[in-house]
Amino acid sequence: MSPIDRAWRAAKNEWHLHALSVFSVAVAFVCLASALLIVVNIQSVQTRWQATGRASVYLKANVERSQIADLEKALRATAGVTSLKYVSSEDARSQILGTSGNESLTALPVEAFPASLDLELTSDAATTRLAKMAEQLTALPAVEAVETYQAWSNSLGKVLTGGLAAAVVLALVVLGAVVSVVSSTMRLALQRRRREVEVLKLVGASDDYVTRPFLIEGCAQGGLGAGAALALLGVLYGIVKSHFDMSLGALLGVTPTFLPWTMSLFLIVLGALLGVSAAYLSLRRFLLA
Amino acid sequence: MDNSRAFGQALRSGNRFDASTANRPVLVLDDVHKAYRPDAAVLRGLNLEIARGEFVFITGPSGAGKSTLLRLLYAAEEVDSGRILFLGREIGRLSKASIPFLRRNVGVVFQDFKLVENWSVFDNVALPLEVLSLPDRLIRQRVGEALERVGLSGRGEDRAGVLSGGEQQRVGIARAIVGEPALVLADEPTGNLDPQLAQDILGLFEDIHETGVTVLFATHDRSLLDIRPRRVVVLDDGKATDALEGLDTIAHPNPQKVA
Repeated sequence: MSPIDRAWRAAKNEWHLHALSVFSVAVAFVCLASALLIVVNIQSVQTRWQATGRASVYLKANVERSQIADLEKALRATAGVTSLKYVSSEDARSQILGTSGNESLTALPVEAFPASLDLELTSDAATTRLAKMAEQLTALPAVEAVETYQAWSNSLGKVLTGGLAAAVVLALVVLGAVVSVVSSTMRLALQRRRREVEVLKLVGASDDYVTRPFLIEGCAQGGLGAGAALALLGVLYGIVKSHFDMSLGALLGVTPTFLPWTMSLFLIVLGALLGVSAAYLSLRRFLLA
Repeated sequence: MDNSRAFGQALRSGNRFDASTANRPVLVLDDVHKAYRPDAAVLRGLNLEIARGEFVFITGPSGAGKSTLLRLLYAAEEVDSGRILFLGREIGRLSKASIPFLRRNVGVVFQDFKLVENWSVFDNVALPLEVLSLPDRLIRQRVGEALERVGLSGRGEDRAGVLSGGEQQRVGIARAIVGEPALVLADEPTGNLDPQLAQDILGLFEDIHETGVTVLFATHDRSLLDIRPRRVVVLDDGKATDALEGLDTIAHPNPQKVA
């Protein structure tokens, strides 16, 4: 009988114990996978915002129409600029008031809404030349200020850093939780199968022969727990996405995505490795005792 | 040659005849001392020699060290001093990795049967062969033969836990002999059985002995010693005495030594 057959026999005999362990591991991994899912999506938003270069060139109030035309002409000729749109003070006012309906804003004069040129740039230009262009444009007499939305990207970057830190902490917590759960299960399994282990040793089984099925069980518990967590998270993600896809997409500028398959595979492998390590530690203590 | 190979070659049936091993005692205990506490020695300079193919009763009062002696023989305990030679090789000097190979050549039967109760009879008996990674076909054949020898033919699928005490002990005996060991140790195997069942179980051990297996049968049940004339070794005060040489140590009516 192979070690896998022996592990399968034990799993069938003690299925409730193993199911409980898989469930506990899954709960721990749901926390980690959720944190990673948030981090992945924040990162994609940040990447999208960084890659899609946008800038608003705010014009001074007394700028002549000819100056604006010259500026438009110069910008259209600039490499990397993909689109350019002039937004007058009236257009800016109607855009703002159209979305807010706030009475205080309605009372503001039209001069309070500066005219602007809204630019969109290629990804390459956005990452390499946007800052330099903003500096050059700000120096022009017709330009009041240039908004590159870099601050938004920086803010997202900070959120992302915080999210990653949270994910690392959660990963450590999960690591501890999985090791603890699988170790407890193994100790309990060893206690319940003490007679089996005793007899195996009496009939001349080596330590390796005795431990192999337990290691396979630990590996399976960790891997299945992580897999179950991903499946559960996938279902939850599907439910959330089906209800909020449009509004989330419009708000973030990107479509939410699930964890990449490589990361999902990594989580399952991590679960399996943690499971086998926890089982090994418990067995070593048991066999030494 | 490492111990594992040495045991295998010396003990496995079907190997070439070796006159030196044939004449060598299976077991030699030389001035063996064992204590679990410094002030309570169990064995105090025990000397004993068991020839190949002997059937030996080990008897003595409770706490005399019968179980300890057997545990030393299958390396569940270590001697404090002295030597135990199994086919000329010292058990105390075996490496940890070699102990499983020793145990594959020694069948052990216990008072409490030591069966895995939620396994089938077949799985319990097959265990020593599975450890050897024998092919399934051979395992099925040899387990079938062992069950037939102990009178449990056709009971392989039964769960061990639902069997009667006598049947469980038969399963324990089948497990001990299925690997065809040279030495079978029985630690109070009839201790949990009624007198009739005890005699049946003793009969099984005698059948096993008839096939050339050396049997050490530890018991405190003196009624069993009367059934057949066998060598009787009495453990008392931490030492072993053959009953013929020390009649005053045991109130036994007619002990006989079988050469």
